[in-house]
Amino acid sequence: MTKLRTDFDTLVNALSPELFRYAMGLCHNPDTAQDLVQETFLRGWRAQAKLRDGKAARAWLYTILRNEHARLYERQRPDVCDPSHLPEIAVRGYDTSAEAFVTRRALAELSAEYRDPLLLQVIGGFSCKEIGEMLDLNTNTVLTRLFRARKTLRERLEGTPRQEASQ
Amino acid sequence: MNCLDFRRHLMADPMARDTGLQAHEDDCPGCATFARELRAQEINLRNLLREVSPPEGMSERIQLAARFEQRSATQRRWWYSAAAGVLLAIGVSMTSLWTTALERGDQALAQSVLNHIEDEASHLREARPVTATRVKWVFERFGATLDEDIGPVHFAAECLMRQRNGVHLVMPGKMGPVTVFYMPGEMADATLPVRSDRFEGRIVPTAWGSVAVVGETGEPVQELGERLAAAVSWPEPATSADSGLIGAGALATLDIAQQEDS
Repeated sequence: MTKLRTDFDTLVNALSPELFRYAMGLCHNPDTAQDLVQETFLRGWRAQAKLRDGKAARAWLYTILRNEHARLYERQRPDVCDPSHLPEIAVRGYDTSAEAFVTRRALAELSAEYRDPLLLQVIGGFSCKEIGEMLDLNTNTVLTRLFRARKTLRERLEGTPRQEASQ
Repeated sequence: MNCLDFRRHLMADPMARDTGLQAHEDDCPGCATFARELRAQEINLRNLLREVSPPEGMSERIQLAARFEQRSATQRRWWYSAAAGVLLAIGVSMTSLWTTALERGDQALAQSVLNHIEDEASHLREARPVTATRVKWVFERFGATLDEDIGPVHFAAECLMRQRNGVHLVMPGKMGPVTVFYMPGEMADATLPVRSDRFEGRIVPTAWGSVAVVGETGEPVQELGERLAAAVSWPEPATSADSGLIGAGALATLDIAQQEDS
Protein backbone atom coordinates (compact mmCIF):
# COMPACT_ATOMS: atom_id res chain seq x y z
CA MET A 1 0.00 0.00 0.00
CA THR A 2 2.90 2.36 0.81
CA LYS A 3 4.48 1.81 -2.61
CA LEU A 4 1.15 2.31 -4.29
CA ARG A 5 0.68 5.56 -2.40
CA THR A 6 4.16 6.73 -3.34
CA ASP A 7 3.51 5.87 -6.99
CA PHE A 8 0.22 7.74 -6.83
CA ASP A 9 1.88 10.82 -5.30
CA THR A 10 4.54 10.73 -8.00
CA LEU A 11 1.86 10.50 -10.66
CA VAL A 12 -0.07 13.42 -9.18
CA ASN A 13 3.05 15.56 -9.00
CA ALA A 14 4.01 14.71 -12.57
CA LEU A 15 0.64 14.94 -14.27
CA SER A 16 -1.53 17.35 -12.33
CA PRO A 17 -0.02 20.48 -14.01
CA GLU A 18 -0.72 19.28 -17.56
CA LEU A 19 -4.14 17.92 -16.59
CA PHE A 20 -4.95 21.29 -15.07
CA ARG A 21 -3.96 22.95 -18.36
CA TYR A 22 -6.12 20.54 -20.29
CA ALA A 23 -9.02 21.22 -17.92
CA MET A 24 -8.50 24.97 -18.32
CA GLY A 25 -8.56 24.51 -22.08
CA LEU A 26 -11.92 22.76 -21.73
CA CYS A 27 -13.69 24.97 -19.20
CA HIS A 28 -11.63 28.21 -18.85
CA ASN A 29 -12.52 28.28 -15.16
CA PRO A 30 -9.67 27.66 -12.69
CA ASP A 31 -11.98 26.51 -9.88
CA THR A 32 -13.81 24.05 -12.10
CA ALA A 33 -10.51 22.94 -13.65
CA GLN A 34 -9.08 22.20 -10.22
CA ASP A 35 -12.19 20.20 -9.26
CA LEU A 36 -11.97 18.25 -12.50
CA VAL A 37 -8.33 17.37 -11.91
CA GLN A 38 -9.00 16.30 -8.34
CA GLU A 39 -11.99 14.16 -9.34
CA THR A 40 -9.93 12.63 -12.15
CA PHE A 41 -7.16 11.57 -9.79
CA LEU A 42 -9.63 10.28 -7.19
CA ARG A 43 -11.26 8.14 -9.85
CA GLY A 44 -7.81 6.93 -10.78
CA TRP A 45 -7.04 6.19 -7.15
CA ARG A 46 -10.20 4.07 -6.86
CA ALA A 47 -9.12 2.02 -9.88
CA GLN A 48 -5.50 1.69 -8.79
CA ALA A 49 -4.69 -1.21 -11.07
CA LYS A 50 -4.99 1.03 -14.11
CA LEU A 51 -2.50 3.50 -12.69
CA ARG A 52 0.35 1.00 -12.57
CA ASP A 53 1.21 1.35 -16.23
CA GLY A 54 2.51 4.91 -16.31
CA LYS A 55 2.12 5.55 -20.06
CA ALA A 56 -1.35 4.05 -20.25
CA ALA A 57 -2.28 5.81 -17.01
CA ARG A 58 -1.54 9.21 -18.54
CA ALA A 59 -3.85 8.68 -21.52
CA TRP A 60 -6.42 7.13 -19.23
CA LEU A 61 -6.40 10.13 -16.89
CA TYR A 62 -6.88 12.52 -19.82
CA THR A 63 -9.86 10.43 -20.92
CA ILE A 64 -11.33 10.48 -17.42
CA LEU A 65 -10.96 14.22 -17.25
CA ARG A 66 -12.63 14.72 -20.60
CA ASN A 67 -15.50 12.44 -19.55
CA GLU A 68 -15.81 14.21 -16.20
CA HIS A 69 -16.04 17.52 -17.99
CA ALA A 70 -18.75 16.17 -20.30
CA ARG A 71 -20.60 14.75 -17.29
CA LEU A 72 -20.38 18.09 -15.54
CA TYR A 73 -22.12 19.70 -18.47
CA GLU A 74 -24.75 16.97 -18.50
CA ARG A 75 -25.57 17.47 -14.81
CA GLN A 76 -25.38 21.23 -14.79
CA ARG A 77 -23.79 23.90 -16.81
CA PRO A 78 -20.95 25.05 -14.60
CA ASP A 79 -19.85 28.63 -14.30
CA VAL A 80 -18.07 29.16 -17.55
CA CYS A 81 -15.52 31.90 -17.65
CA ASP A 82 -15.60 33.97 -20.76
CA PRO A 83 -12.16 33.24 -22.22
CA SER A 84 -11.97 36.85 -23.36
CA HIS A 85 -12.03 37.99 -19.71
CA LEU A 86 -9.59 37.45 -16.87
CA PRO A 87 -10.45 34.58 -14.54
CA GLU A 88 -11.80 35.65 -11.16
CA ILE A 89 -8.84 34.11 -9.39
CA ALA A 90 -5.27 34.59 -10.47
CA VAL A 91 -3.74 31.81 -12.54
CA ARG A 92 0.02 31.74 -12.83
CA GLY A 93 1.26 31.82 -16.38
CA TYR A 94 -2.07 33.03 -17.71
CA ASP A 95 -1.19 35.21 -20.69
CA THR A 96 -3.06 38.47 -20.43
CA SER A 97 -2.07 39.91 -23.81
CA ALA A 98 -4.83 40.92 -26.26
CA GLU A 99 -3.57 38.32 -28.69
CA ALA A 100 -3.93 35.59 -26.02
CA PHE A 101 -7.53 36.55 -25.24
CA VAL A 102 -8.41 36.47 -28.94
CA THR A 103 -6.80 33.04 -29.33
CA ARG A 104 -8.54 31.64 -26.25
CA ARG A 105 -11.87 32.94 -27.49
CA ALA A 106 -11.27 31.37 -30.90
CA LEU A 107 -10.42 28.08 -29.22
CA ALA A 108 -13.51 28.24 -27.02
CA GLU A 109 -15.68 28.77 -30.05
CA LEU A 110 -14.47 25.60 -31.70
CA SER A 111 -16.95 22.78 -31.45
CA ALA A 112 -15.96 19.95 -29.11
CA GLU A 113 -15.25 17.53 -31.96
CA TYR A 114 -12.46 19.83 -33.23
CA ARG A 115 -11.35 21.29 -29.92
CA ASP A 116 -10.88 17.92 -28.14
CA PRO A 117 -8.27 16.42 -30.50
CA LEU A 118 -6.51 19.78 -30.80
CA LEU A 119 -6.13 20.16 -27.01
CA LEU A 120 -4.96 16.57 -26.66
CA GLN A 121 -2.34 17.16 -29.31
CA VAL A 122 -1.14 20.61 -28.21
CA ILE A 123 -1.29 20.15 -24.42
CA GLY A 124 -0.91 16.39 -24.07
CA GLY A 125 1.45 15.88 -26.98
CA PHE A 126 -0.41 12.73 -27.99
CA SER A 127 0.05 11.29 -31.47
CA CYS A 128 -2.89 11.04 -33.89
CA LYS A 129 -3.05 7.30 -33.22
CA GLU A 130 -3.21 7.83 -29.46
CA ILE A 131 -5.85 10.53 -29.84
CA GLY A 132 -7.85 8.17 -32.02
CA GLU A 133 -7.74 5.53 -29.28
CA MET A 134 -8.75 8.03 -26.62
CA LEU A 135 -11.64 9.47 -28.62
CA ASP A 136 -12.61 6.19 -30.25
CA LEU A 137 -11.90 7.53 -33.74
CA ASN A 138 -9.78 6.21 -36.55
CA THR A 139 -6.51 7.99 -37.26
CA ASN A 140 -7.67 9.52 -40.55
CA THR A 141 -10.67 11.08 -38.82
CA VAL A 142 -8.35 12.52 -36.19
CA LEU A 143 -6.11 13.98 -38.92
CA THR A 144 -9.13 15.50 -40.64
CA ARG A 145 -10.45 17.02 -37.42
CA LEU A 146 -7.06 18.45 -36.52
CA PHE A 147 -6.74 19.95 -39.98
CA ARG A 148 -10.19 21.53 -39.73
CA ALA A 149 -9.60 22.74 -36.18
CA ARG A 150 -6.46 24.63 -37.20
CA LYS A 151 -8.02 25.89 -40.38
CA THR A 152 -10.96 27.33 -38.45
CA LEU A 153 -8.66 28.75 -35.80
CA ARG A 154 -6.46 30.47 -38.42
CA GLU A 155 -9.46 31.94 -40.15
CA ARG A 156 -10.80 33.35 -36.90
CA LEU A 157 -7.45 34.70 -35.80
CA GLU A 158 -6.87 36.28 -39.20
CA GLY A 159 -10.27 37.95 -38.96
CA THR A 160 -11.81 36.13 -41.85
CA PRO A 161 -15.14 34.96 -40.43
CA ARG A 162 -16.28 31.97 -42.40
CA GLN A 163 -18.53 29.02 -41.68
CA GLU A 164 -16.70 26.51 -39.46
CA ALA A 165 -15.68 23.55 -41.50
CA SER A 166 -18.06 20.67 -41.25
CA GLN A 167 -17.21 17.00 -41.16
CA MET B 1 4.15 14.94 -52.32
CA ASN B 2 2.38 17.97 -53.75
CA CYS B 3 1.70 21.30 -52.05
CA LEU B 4 -1.87 20.34 -51.11
CA ASP B 5 -0.77 17.11 -49.41
CA PHE B 6 2.07 18.93 -47.67
CA ARG B 7 -0.19 21.66 -46.26
CA ARG B 8 -2.90 19.19 -45.30
CA HIS B 9 -0.38 17.10 -43.36
CA LEU B 10 1.16 20.11 -41.73
CA MET B 11 -2.19 21.55 -40.66
CA ALA B 12 -2.95 18.26 -38.91
CA ASP B 13 0.44 18.15 -37.20
CA PRO B 14 2.61 21.25 -37.65
CA MET B 15 5.53 19.79 -35.71
CA ALA B 16 5.68 16.57 -37.68
CA ARG B 17 9.14 15.68 -38.95
CA ASP B 18 8.78 13.43 -41.91
CA THR B 19 11.33 12.92 -44.70
CA GLY B 20 8.65 13.39 -47.35
CA LEU B 21 7.48 16.62 -45.74
CA GLN B 22 11.02 17.83 -45.27
CA ALA B 23 11.89 17.11 -48.92
CA HIS B 24 8.90 19.08 -50.17
CA GLU B 25 9.64 21.95 -47.79
CA ASP B 26 13.22 22.11 -49.07
CA ASP B 27 12.04 22.17 -52.69
CA CYS B 28 9.04 24.51 -52.38
CA PRO B 29 9.68 28.04 -51.04
CA GLY B 30 5.94 28.81 -50.78
CA CYS B 31 5.26 25.79 -48.64
CA ALA B 32 8.39 26.52 -46.60
CA THR B 33 7.01 29.95 -45.76
CA PHE B 34 3.63 28.47 -44.98
CA ALA B 35 5.31 25.93 -42.66
CA ARG B 36 7.27 28.59 -40.82
CA GLU B 37 4.17 30.70 -40.22
CA LEU B 38 2.14 27.71 -39.15
CA ARG B 39 4.81 26.52 -36.72
CA ALA B 40 5.15 29.99 -35.26
CA GLN B 41 1.38 30.02 -34.64
CA GLU B 42 1.59 26.54 -33.16
CA ILE B 43 4.34 27.60 -30.78
CA ASN B 44 2.25 30.57 -29.69
CA LEU B 45 -0.72 28.27 -29.15
CA ARG B 46 1.38 25.83 -27.14
CA ASN B 47 2.82 28.58 -25.02
CA LEU B 48 -0.60 29.99 -24.41
CA LEU B 49 -2.02 26.66 -23.30
CA ARG B 50 1.03 25.13 -21.67
CA GLU B 51 2.26 28.00 -19.58
CA VAL B 52 -0.75 28.01 -17.31
CA SER B 53 0.27 26.72 -13.88
CA PRO B 54 -2.01 24.98 -11.43
CA PRO B 55 -2.87 26.74 -8.15
CA GLU B 56 -0.39 26.39 -5.31
CA GLY B 57 -0.81 23.20 -3.34
CA MET B 58 -3.19 21.52 -5.80
CA SER B 59 -1.14 18.31 -5.92
CA GLU B 60 -0.96 18.14 -2.13
CA ARG B 61 -4.73 18.65 -1.85
CA ILE B 62 -5.34 15.82 -4.31
CA GLN B 63 -2.97 13.52 -2.43
CA LEU B 64 -4.67 14.43 0.84
CA ALA B 65 -8.11 13.82 -0.65
CA ALA B 66 -6.98 10.39 -1.87
CA ARG B 67 -5.66 9.48 1.60
CA PHE B 68 -8.87 10.71 3.22
CA GLU B 69 -10.91 8.68 0.77
CA GLN B 70 -8.76 5.62 1.39
CA ARG B 71 -9.14 6.04 5.16
CA SER B 72 -12.90 6.58 4.81
CA ALA B 73 -13.18 3.52 2.59
CA THR B 74 -11.10 1.47 5.02
CA GLN B 75 -13.19 2.65 7.95
CA ARG B 76 -16.38 2.04 5.97
CA ARG B 77 -15.18 -1.43 5.11
CA TRP B 78 -14.24 -2.05 8.73
CA TRP B 79 -17.61 -0.88 9.99
CA TYR B 80 -19.47 -2.85 7.33
CA SER B 81 -17.43 -5.93 8.20
CA ALA B 82 -17.98 -5.42 11.91
CA ALA B 83 -21.71 -4.82 11.44
CA ALA B 84 -22.01 -7.83 9.16
CA GLY B 85 -20.10 -9.94 11.68
CA VAL B 86 -22.32 -8.84 14.55
CA LEU B 87 -25.49 -9.43 12.52
CA LEU B 88 -24.21 -12.83 11.43
CA ALA B 89 -23.33 -13.76 15.01
CA ILE B 90 -26.75 -12.62 16.24
CA GLY B 91 -28.45 -14.49 13.41
CA VAL B 92 -26.51 -17.68 14.04
CA SER B 93 -27.09 -17.43 17.80
CA MET B 94 -30.80 -16.76 17.43
CA THR B 95 -31.22 -19.56 14.91
CA SER B 96 -29.20 -21.88 17.08
CA LEU B 97 -31.11 -20.93 20.22
CA TRP B 98 -34.44 -21.19 18.44
CA THR B 99 -33.58 -24.54 16.87
CA THR B 100 -32.13 -25.82 20.12
CA ALA B 101 -35.17 -24.62 22.03
CA LEU B 102 -37.48 -26.27 19.53
CA GLU B 103 -35.52 -29.50 19.55
CA ARG B 104 -35.18 -29.41 23.29
CA GLY B 105 -38.92 -28.72 23.62
CA ASP B 106 -39.84 -31.56 21.28
CA GLN B 107 -37.40 -33.98 22.86
CA ALA B 108 -38.51 -32.94 26.32
CA LEU B 109 -42.17 -33.54 25.51
CA ALA B 110 -41.45 -36.96 24.01
CA GLN B 111 -39.27 -37.85 26.99
CA SER B 112 -41.96 -36.66 29.42
CA VAL B 113 -44.46 -38.90 27.69
CA LEU B 114 -42.13 -41.91 28.00
CA ASN B 115 -41.29 -41.09 31.61
CA HIS B 116 -44.96 -40.79 32.43
CA ILE B 117 -45.73 -44.18 30.88
CA GLU B 118 -42.87 -45.88 32.72
CA ASP B 119 -43.63 -44.15 36.01
CA GLU B 120 -47.20 -45.35 35.82
CA ALA B 121 -46.56 -48.68 34.11
CA SER B 122 -49.08 -50.25 36.43
CA HIS B 123 -51.87 -48.72 34.31
CA LEU B 124 -50.63 -50.73 31.35
CA ARG B 125 -51.67 -53.83 33.19
CA GLU B 126 -55.31 -52.75 33.55
CA ALA B 127 -57.20 -55.61 31.96
CA ARG B 128 -60.80 -54.48 32.34
CA PRO B 129 -62.37 -51.71 30.28
CA VAL B 130 -63.72 -48.64 32.08
CA THR B 131 -67.23 -47.44 31.34
CA ALA B 132 -68.03 -45.08 28.55
CA THR B 133 -69.46 -42.74 31.15
CA ARG B 134 -66.12 -42.64 32.89
CA VAL B 135 -64.30 -41.80 29.67
CA LYS B 136 -66.86 -39.16 28.80
CA TRP B 137 -66.65 -37.68 32.28
CA VAL B 138 -62.86 -37.32 32.11
CA PHE B 139 -63.08 -35.42 28.84
CA GLU B 140 -65.92 -33.25 30.13
CA ARG B 141 -63.64 -32.00 32.90
CA PHE B 142 -61.83 -30.09 30.14
CA GLY B 143 -65.03 -29.03 28.35
CA ALA B 144 -64.14 -31.55 25.64
CA THR B 145 -66.51 -34.03 24.07
CA LEU B 146 -66.04 -37.38 22.41
CA ASP B 147 -67.66 -37.20 19.00
CA GLU B 148 -67.31 -40.87 18.19
CA ASP B 149 -66.60 -44.19 19.81
CA ILE B 150 -62.88 -44.63 20.31
CA GLY B 151 -63.13 -48.28 21.31
CA PRO B 152 -62.39 -50.00 24.58
CA VAL B 153 -60.49 -48.01 27.20
CA HIS B 154 -58.84 -49.77 30.15
CA PHE B 155 -57.76 -46.70 32.00
CA ALA B 156 -59.05 -43.10 31.89
CA ALA B 157 -57.99 -40.32 34.20
CA GLU B 158 -57.02 -36.67 34.34
CA CYS B 159 -53.27 -36.47 34.62
CA LEU B 160 -50.47 -33.99 34.90
CA MET B 161 -48.02 -33.73 32.06
CA ARG B 162 -45.33 -31.03 32.16
CA GLN B 163 -47.30 -28.74 34.44
CA ARG B 164 -50.48 -29.04 32.38
CA ASN B 165 -53.41 -31.25 33.03
CA GLY B 166 -54.62 -33.58 30.33
CA VAL B 167 -56.34 -36.88 29.71
CA HIS B 168 -54.52 -40.18 30.19
CA LEU B 169 -56.02 -43.26 28.53
CA VAL B 170 -54.81 -46.82 28.16
CA MET B 171 -56.35 -48.85 25.37
CA PRO B 172 -55.71 -52.38 24.10
CA GLY B 173 -53.65 -52.49 20.94
CA LYS B 174 -52.36 -55.09 18.51
CA MET B 175 -48.98 -55.43 20.16
CA GLY B 176 -50.12 -54.74 23.73
CA PRO B 177 -51.51 -51.82 25.74
CA VAL B 178 -51.48 -48.41 24.04
CA THR B 179 -51.14 -45.26 26.12
CA VAL B 180 -52.89 -42.10 24.89
CA PHE B 181 -52.30 -38.62 26.27
CA TYR B 182 -54.56 -35.74 25.27
CA MET B 183 -52.35 -32.76 26.07
CA PRO B 184 -54.15 -29.42 25.72
CA GLY B 185 -51.77 -26.47 25.34
CA GLU B 186 -48.81 -28.64 24.27
CA MET B 187 -48.48 -27.26 20.79
CA ALA B 188 -46.34 -29.07 18.22
CA ASP B 189 -45.54 -27.93 14.66
CA ALA B 190 -45.43 -31.44 13.25
CA THR B 191 -45.87 -35.05 14.20
CA LEU B 192 -43.12 -35.98 16.64
CA PRO B 193 -41.70 -39.45 17.16
CA VAL B 194 -41.59 -41.06 20.59
CA ARG B 195 -39.19 -43.94 20.91
CA SER B 196 -37.50 -46.00 23.59
CA ASP B 197 -36.21 -49.55 23.87
CA ARG B 198 -39.68 -50.80 24.59
CA PHE B 199 -42.10 -48.19 23.32
CA GLU B 200 -42.77 -46.49 20.04
CA GLY B 201 -45.26 -43.77 19.30
CA ARG B 202 -46.21 -40.44 17.84
CA ILE B 203 -47.21 -37.04 19.15
CA VAL B 204 -49.84 -35.72 16.73
CA PRO B 205 -50.41 -31.95 16.64
CA THR B 206 -53.96 -30.56 16.89
CA ALA B 207 -55.45 -27.10 16.94
CA TRP B 208 -55.73 -27.12 20.72
CA GLY B 209 -52.57 -29.04 21.70
CA SER B 210 -51.40 -32.50 20.85
CA VAL B 211 -52.22 -36.18 21.27
CA ALA B 212 -49.53 -38.71 22.19
CA VAL B 213 -50.15 -42.32 21.21
CA VAL B 214 -47.51 -44.78 22.40
CA GLY B 215 -47.56 -48.56 22.21
CA GLU B 216 -45.20 -51.47 22.23
CA THR B 217 -42.67 -51.50 19.40
CA GLY B 218 -44.40 -52.37 16.14
CA GLU B 219 -47.78 -50.93 17.14
CA PRO B 220 -49.37 -49.02 14.20
CA VAL B 221 -49.78 -45.80 16.18
CA GLN B 222 -49.82 -43.21 13.41
CA GLU B 223 -53.28 -44.01 12.13
CA LEU B 224 -54.62 -44.55 15.65
CA GLY B 225 -53.25 -41.18 16.76
CA GLU B 226 -54.94 -39.34 13.92
CA ARG B 227 -58.21 -41.15 14.54
CA LEU B 228 -58.14 -40.41 18.29
CA ALA B 229 -57.26 -36.77 17.69
CA ALA B 230 -60.18 -36.40 15.29
CA ALA B 231 -62.59 -38.12 17.65
CA VAL B 232 -62.45 -35.38 20.27
CA SER B 233 -63.75 -31.80 20.16
CA TRP B 234 -61.73 -29.58 22.41
CA PRO B 235 -63.27 -26.20 23.11
CA GLU B 236 -60.27 -23.96 22.53
CA PRO B 237 -56.54 -23.99 23.09
CA ALA B 238 -55.93 -24.33 26.79
CA THR B 239 -53.98 -21.65 28.59
CA SER B 240 -51.79 -22.09 31.59
CA ALA B 241 -54.58 -20.59 33.70
CA ASP B 242 -57.24 -23.09 32.80
CA SER B 243 -54.93 -26.05 32.42
CA GLY B 244 -54.16 -25.94 36.09
CA LEU B 245 -50.44 -25.61 36.67
CA ILE B 246 -49.53 -27.79 39.55
CA GLY B 247 -45.83 -28.25 40.08
CA ALA B 248 -42.66 -28.02 38.10
CA GLY B 249 -41.49 -31.33 36.70
CA ALA B 250 -44.14 -33.24 38.48
CA LEU B 251 -45.40 -36.31 36.74
CA ALA B 252 -48.38 -37.78 38.38
CA THR B 253 -51.71 -39.12 37.48
CA LEU B 254 -54.59 -37.73 39.39
CA ASP B 255 -56.72 -40.76 39.53
CA ILE B 256 -60.05 -39.11 39.89
CA ALA B 257 -62.95 -41.37 40.67
CA GLN B 258 -61.13 -44.29 39.14
CA GLN B 259 -62.00 -46.29 42.16
CA GLU B 260 -65.69 -45.34 41.93
CA ASP B 261 -65.89 -46.49 38.34
CA SER B 262 -63.97 -49.65 38.89
